[in-house]
Amino acid sequence: MSQVDITAESGHAGLMEDSPYGIPSGKLAMWCFVISDAVTFSAVLFAYGYLRIGSPDWSTPFQFSPTILNGIGMTFILLSSSLTMLAAVEAVKAGRKSAGFGWLCATALLGALFAALHLVEWGRMIDEGWRLFQNPLGGSVHFGAAFFSITGLHLLHVVGGVCALAVIAVGYRRGGYNSIDVEVAGIYWHFVDLVWMFVFPLVYLMNVQ
Amino acid sequence: MTTGESAQGPGMKFFVAVWVGLMCIVGIEVIITFRHLPPRELLVWLLALAFLEAGIAVWYFMHLKYERAALAWSLLPALAFVVFMMDHIWPDAFRLLSMRLLSN
Amino acid sequence: MSEAAHQHAEPTGFIRKYIFSVDHKVIGLQYIGLGIVAVVLGMILSWLMRLHLGWSTLAIPGLEKLSPAGAPGNVMTPEYYLSLMTMHGTLMVFFVLTNVPFAGFGNYFLPIQVGAPDMAFPRMNMMSFWVTFTAFLVLIAAFFVPGGPPLSGWTAYAPLSAVGQDAGPGEGWGQTLWALSIAIFCVAQLLGALNFIATTLDLRTKGMSLARMPFSTWAWFITSVIGLLAFAVLLPACVLLILDRTAGTSFFIPGGLVISDRLQAHTGGSPLLWQHLFWFFGHPEVYIAILPAIGIVSHILPAFLRRPLLGPRVLISCLAAIGFLSYMVWGHHMFVSGMNPFSAILFSVPTLVITIPATIATLLWIGSVYGARIRFTCASLFCLGFISVFISGGISGFFLAQPSIDTYLHATYFVVAHFHFVMGVAAIFGMFAGIYFWLPKMVGRMMNETLGKIHFWFTFVGVYCIFMPMHYLGLAGNVRRYAAFTDDYLAPLIPVHQFITIAALITGAAQFIFLFNLVWSRFRGPKATENPWQATSLEWSTTSPPPFDNFGGRQLVVHQEPYLYGVEGSAGDYVMQTSPETVEAR
Repeated sequence: MSQVDITAESGHAGLMEDSPYGIPSGKLAMWCFVISDAVTFSAVLFAYGYLRIGSPDWSTPFQFSPTILNGIGMTFILLSSSLTMLAAVEAVKAGRKSAGFGWLCATALLGALFAALHLVEWGRMIDEGWRLFQNPLGGSVHFGAAFFSITGLHLLHVVGGVCALAVIAVGYRRGGYNSIDVEVAGIYWHFVDLVWMFVFPLVYLMNVQ
Repeated sequence: MTTGESAQGPGMKFFVAVWVGLMCIVGIEVIITFRHLPPRELLVWLLALAFLEAGIAVWYFMHLKYERAALAWSLLPALAFVVFMMDHIWPDAFRLLSMRLLSN
Repeated sequence: MSEAAHQHAEPTGFIRKYIFSVDHKVIGLQYIGLGIVAVVLGMILSWLMRLHLGWSTLAIPGLEKLSPAGAPGNVMTPEYYLSLMTMHGTLMVFFVLTNVPFAGFGNYFLPIQVGAPDMAFPRMNMMSFWVTFTAFLVLIAAFFVPGGPPLSGWTAYAPLSAVGQDAGPGEGWGQTLWALSIAIFCVAQLLGALNFIATTLDLRTKGMSLARMPFSTWAWFITSVIGLLAFAVLLPACVLLILDRTAGTSFFIPGGLVISDRLQAHTGGSPLLWQHLFWFFGHPEVYIAILPAIGIVSHILPAFLRRPLLGPRVLISCLAAIGFLSYMVWGHHMFVSGMNPFSAILFSVPTLVITIPATIATLLWIGSVYGARIRFTCASLFCLGFISVFISGGISGFFLAQPSIDTYLHATYFVVAHFHFVMGVAAIFGMFAGIYFWLPKMVGRMMNETLGKIHFWFTFVGVYCIFMPMHYLGLAGNVRRYAAFTDDYLAPLIPVHQFITIAALITGAAQFIFLFNLVWSRFRGPKATENPWQATSLEWSTTSPPPFDNFGGRQLVVHQEPYLYGVEGSAGDYVMQTSPETVEAR
């Protein structure tokens, strides 16, 4: 992306007007994307809240073990992946190539671990009889719909992020991507973590027995 | 104007401290959940803590603090405004309760 | 790492030059081309609709071939009428009005007007177009699947759109393809918005401060910010709709529905939720449709008034205010939906407030035109026509903004008149003005002015003949989205419908004058000079058509504001933005 795209970067001060935010275009675009995606998640969460408020038979099936414990573990993993992402950005900005690559891989692996744990949890819930349209406890069917669609949307972002991180990690090591590209990927990855900070309380903790 | 490098942020030690703080907030969230408060109260607490966590993540992890103020002023009020507008739907959610079929 | 001077090299080969091109000019033309295909298709659909409305037992030759179930014996069934109406609306709103003035002209001229060699992300730009094209193909596929296109309107209200095949023909595959197409379209628009925002903020050439940007650039920028936030809500709405249709969820479907004698297996959802989500997007969307046209008209008008517009900063503030307020008003589409009636007040007030910046803008145009020595060209005629139809359409909005009146007028032809005037006519006039003004720049050939003026007058008179009577119809109680009018109180109105149909057919036929002019001029028109209109903005500081990197390797420096017309300049009665001469303050 960085070879073909025209970004307002250092080197032609004097030829162009200053960007009002003083950041590379790729970073600005990622911030705008994050805001837009935040609106998307907000819409889905509002829809969940809307249906929950309107459902007198809402189920609250989650117990500390295994669901909340698993959720705490997943939160820990995702937060740690944000930390490794920061380490990657620090390393990359300092020009430490192999450290940067290593931290990026660590982030991707933690993301993959999060996704794996998530899928295991999904498998467990499906075994218990939960579906998008089915509630084994006999309560509102919207529980399954909301749970799977919200966590599914988030999971999609995690998996996409893991793939992107892998591409960036390899590309960075090869010299095709620079520190700005890694930083831009970092903004996305932190956003994925940030969404989880809302999903975990609203979808998990609010549904504890 | 050197736009090629973003503003310098603090070191990893600081970020680890922030990470510890975020984990603590998660811990608080779990603890208050198991105090079995009424749902409305729990929701208020969890939302407040979630926004706090998110704010910390955006400000420090995403380095918004270390960018020009104009960026934060452009992005965050726009997001807050749009999300705030979505609150228009709540009256209809509450009315939904009284519109249910009796058999359900 | 990459610098402006190192942008992509000029492509070779037909595919890289014209098909998978990263050049914003080619992409802009691709969007315009797609829009023209969509508008012709949408117009043909409207003819079929209008024929049926005027003469509901009419056998239209060939219709049975298109849909044996929808038009047995070439006579349209009511369901098929609704299907055609759905596709007409969807094509027009998404693939014409969002595509051409915004993605089409915006892609072509935004980089040039700010002095950049291309958009900020050329490859993502290319992807945006091809994703849009994919969405178009998915939508068109709905014509050819079993059951045909959906019949729930471009608004796809639940539960009709959500329960599946039981709801009627087209509600099987057709509706699912519709939802998929729109979801794909949202992604494309999001990518496009990112490009527009980054380009406007980061790639302005030296001297092109934000204050010196032309109105069209400001409009494209504000529109892309609106779009960034609006399409973000339509995307999950469509996904949830698809889940309702295919995965058994009940987000939008209440319990106890018996449709086609079958109890639907869904329960607990809310059709109102769909409306909230859809219109939360839908209202900003209609401003996405009109703001670029406003920007284009405001940009073109000064060149033919030979003086700048009054209050340019006020005008830009009005555009921004409209963008901001557009997020506060969506409930005015839902006054009679069963929404909390007190919410109606919260929506009605901002709706009335949003008329203020729109009115200010209109007054600025009128004040600017008053007393000017107007150069009447096709472009300027369509600009003046735009002002007229924008007023006509806007005034009916004042009425609809009030819940009390809207309770009566909702879902009547009064609403149809309103949105057609502002979207279907005003925005289209903006597009026509843009084409007549900018085609010489884009293809290097002038369009034929005589043909264009004939086109204008037929169109201008024609649209008034089509849409003005609809206000009367609406007030008389004529319900919209009906395939035929068999009630006692509607039967006397059928002659009005027949008049409208004839007007629509004539006006539609006149558009072929435009298409002929377009194609003829492209190949046989007189060669265009660099600045045939003696205009001031940056697109007129380069060749017609512009070279690959827009300015032939030059890095332009901007010295002037954009609309210095009627001032003594070295070139004539105007001063170009790139001209370094000092201009006396007026």
